[in-house]
Amino acid sequence: MANAWKIARRSNVQLPLILVIALAAVVVLLGKAQGTLFDRVRAHATDTMAPVLEKLRVPVAGFDRFTGSITEIFSVYEQNLKLKEENARLRQWRNVAIVLQGRVGRYQALLHAVPDTKLNAVLARVIGRANRPFLQTMILDAGRQNHALPGQAVMDARGMIGRIYLAGQRTSWVILLTDLNSRIPVNIAPSSGKGGNVQAMMTGDNSATPRLELVSRTVTLHAGDQVTSSGDGGLLPAGLPVGTVMTDGAGGWRVALLADASASQDVEILNFSKPPETPPASAQLPAEAAGLKPQVPAPPAAQVAAAQNSSQANPQTKPQADAQSKPKPVAPPPADAAGAEDVDR
Amino acid sequence: MVSLERAQSPRFRYLTALIPMASGLVGVLIANIPVSVLGGLVPAPLFGLVPVYFWCLVRPDLMTPAVAFSIGFAEDILSGGPPGIWTLAFVLTYALLARRRDSFAGLSGLAAVLGFAAAATFACAIAYFTVAGLNLLSGLRLPPLVPVVSELMMTVLFYVPTALVVGWLHHRLIGASRSDV
Repeated sequence: MANAWKIARRSNVQLPLILVIALAAVVVLLGKAQGTLFDRVRAHATDTMAPVLEKLRVPVAGFDRFTGSITEIFSVYEQNLKLKEENARLRQWRNVAIVLQGRVGRYQALLHAVPDTKLNAVLARVIGRANRPFLQTMILDAGRQNHALPGQAVMDARGMIGRIYLAGQRTSWVILLTDLNSRIPVNIAPSSGKGGNVQAMMTGDNSATPRLELVSRTVTLHAGDQVTSSGDGGLLPAGLPVGTVMTDGAGGWRVALLADASASQDVEILNFSKPPETPPASAQLPAEAAGLKPQVPAPPAAQVAAAQNSSQANPQTKPQADAQSKPKPVAPPPADAAGAEDVDR
Repeated sequence: MVSLERAQSPRFRYLTALIPMASGLVGVLIANIPVSVLGGLVPAPLFGLVPVYFWCLVRPDLMTPAVAFSIGFAEDILSGGPPGIWTLAFVLTYALLARRRDSFAGLSGLAAVLGFAAAATFACAIAYFTVAGLNLLSGLRLPPLVPVVSELMMTVLFYVPTALVVGWLHHRLIGASRSDV
């Protein structure tokens, strides 16, 4: 192919080539150190391209549906049977869920439970997807002017898809849970209902099922356990549905995600603003880890002197003061017969 | 349509000199339109690499290292990956082609496709090992190999149609170097 054309004269490019290679290496290092510079350019480029992407979205989505339906047309009958069976099973689970929801509501009322944090959400449309070797992302048509900010969780109707990592004025980029750079703390609740929850880190590796890295090596997971966001670190709200645990066949665990990022068209951006966690005093950490009573901070000198004076006057007051320093258990409210029956169960 | 003679007139000389760079940038733009076809099963090919390969062999006076740098930089900006990865990959691939120009330019037919596959493999390997090195510096795991191999396969698969377009542009608008005509 190439020998059909005359080869151009050999130009002396060695010196600039070396300089350009060095410049490229500098760009790599600069990108590692100052990634926000590149992110700003990317956000601006996406904002500019947003109208074009909006126009392209409809025909491409139609073509995608068409190509997908070609392969599915041969399995319509089997899919129909499977869906009917699944529908019947889900109806049973719906009844169970309604009963449990009522029971949880009664428990919350009995315990004066703090209600879940209300989350503001912005509805956004997916206007682009990119599947690159080192990045799996989707682009939404909501940006900073819609109060979409980096770090916010993105959900579809079924579960969490990812979180925003780059926000322009009118568009934002979502890093998917399957992406290589995605790491979120999760909570794993056993599907059997027995045993406690397990904390883990879910890390993407560009496959459809992210890995689970357990915080503790002694716990055992089971396929089908429910995975939700744990909310550790305050970056994401706790309790967002993520997926279910599955084995990877090599002794490890992965998560079958509930959300389907390749098919989602409309998503919610959760506006979760929580004040950052204040770590406890470092002096108390070993004591708390050992299950001991937290150390009571030393009272001011004036209070110590007053306490000594009063104890000398009436020695029986000291035990009462100690009792007051202990945390008081919350007295349960008077429960009705139904509530007591539920608790006994 | 602009003929070769007209394109080589002084009036169009400066415009034709920009065609390799413009082709590379358009290729990068097309490859990085964030629209998923086939459900995102396969990554988009590196369209921007084809003009770099082609004109580095046939018109290195128009496809200079700076142009290869610009095309790689555009790929970095639009692809959203770690910055500088494709810039370095494109420039080092250019360096390889510049050193082995006679070997690559003498290939034809299937051998030409294999020659491009070798260059694309080199570019993808540079990108992969650079990301792997950065990940190791940050204490992260090595990136998976499958997506890079998929990208390489798609790039080689789309080489022939892309090279036909690039070859048509070369014949119609650029032609061989004036010293060879």
